[in-house]
Amino acid sequence: MMAYSDDHIALAAEYALGTLDADERAQVETMMSIDKDFAAMVQSWEHKLGVLNQMVGSVEPRPEVWERIRAAVGHSEPQAPLVLPEPSATPAALPVEQQAPVVDNSNVIRLTAKIRRWRSIATATSAIAAALVAMVGVGLSVPDLLPDSMRPRPRTQVVEAKAPPPVAKSSAQYVAVLQREGGSPAFILTVDEATKNFTVRKVGASAEPGKSFELWLISDKLPKPRSLGVIGGGDFTSRPVLASYDADLVKAATYAVTVEQAGGSPDGNPHSAPLFTGKLIETVPPPAR
Amino acid sequence: MLTPAELVWLIAAVANGDEAAFERLYAATRAKLFGVVLRILRRQDLAEEVIQEAYVKIWNSAGKFNPGLSSPITWMASIARNRAIDVVRKRGEASIEEEPAAMEVAADTPDPLARREMTEELKRLLECVGRLEPDRQKLVLLAYYNGWSREQLAAKFEAPVNTVKTWLRRSMMDIRECLGL
Repeated sequence: MMAYSDDHIALAAEYALGTLDADERAQVETMMSIDKDFAAMVQSWEHKLGVLNQMVGSVEPRPEVWERIRAAVGHSEPQAPLVLPEPSATPAALPVEQQAPVVDNSNVIRLTAKIRRWRSIATATSAIAAALVAMVGVGLSVPDLLPDSMRPRPRTQVVEAKAPPPVAKSSAQYVAVLQREGGSPAFILTVDEATKNFTVRKVGASAEPGKSFELWLISDKLPKPRSLGVIGGGDFTSRPVLASYDADLVKAATYAVTVEQAGGSPDGNPHSAPLFTGKLIETVPPPAR
Repeated sequence: MLTPAELVWLIAAVANGDEAAFERLYAATRAKLFGVVLRILRRQDLAEEVIQEAYVKIWNSAGKFNPGLSSPITWMASIARNRAIDVVRKRGEASIEEEPAAMEVAADTPDPLARREMTEELKRLLECVGRLEPDRQKLVLLAYYNGWSREQLAAKFEAPVNTVKTWLRRSMMDIRECLGL
């Protein structure tokens, strides 16, 4: 590690601190992947600075988040008996008339989510103020360091109503393999019929530097392709965007991936020919329980 | 909260594909990780997405965790925090700033740990941060906790971006020296 220049050391430190821009971050990640010692230096900084997270207040995520994580890592239904009001569903696809209430319900969930968002942010504690106060605690004087807005105030606690109404569990899963014609799969798109949440798993593609992959929904019922958002740099990207579309349209649509400028198309229109395309097929019928 | 040793044990089990261990690991760490990314992203929906991706990554890379290099919670929080920073950098600052969930919400209800609850490592780091000039202390902490870019810090401190860049670099090198790295 002695061999690294100050520039390298500073780059590693600033990566861990988080102040690099997107290009510099990508550069550091590339360096980490080819240079184990450099990666170790970055991790060492992450570890040194990571103790600051001890001062960050905990905020409970919504229960749905775990459901989505569990689905994404391919878990089956939980073994513990759930207290969900489940009709004894047949293995056949959901009858179409069940779609409407699901859509309505999602609106309600979105509204309550909005309120909840405000509350959670309000409960996020000020780690900065805490750290500054703590510096006093470790015996250092930091006079007039705390501006008014950062001074400690009595602790308030907002108790959140947890456990929003559970989403009906018996939903079909649809999968689309997005690929070039005759090529190997590049993305795997899964859509949950009930929630219309979708997850894109990246399997064989990576965007060139400065570019982003963007997912589009193409339907003969829509005048033009609709963006479903940029596919993130990670292995998985999940979004609830499809909730606003009609279920039949979602099932019949073609899904396509284009290459756009970093961060996605600026004007809502695709700027390249579809690189990878696919249509949904039903893979998991509603579970019979 | 589980002890670090228990978390290491859980991560090892997760690396072996133990789903029950993964669920316990999630239960023990989700609120901390969510708190960290929500501070940076300021939006519940983005924070949920990031936390989801982070845990999927934790599931997939549990075998790479090296207890000799990092503590379990720091390792996990780094995965989540890096993802959150990537998201804010790629979205560009504007789209985040225009969210009404005001940045200045930052200020309420600090929850300083009692000194005895701080790890030695945290005390040591805070000591080193505390040796920086007051403005630099705030600069470093705002960068870390809020995930602010140099541009955002420049706006906050009413200084040119290049100056902020120099301050950040100098501060990190000072911290490094103080920590004896």
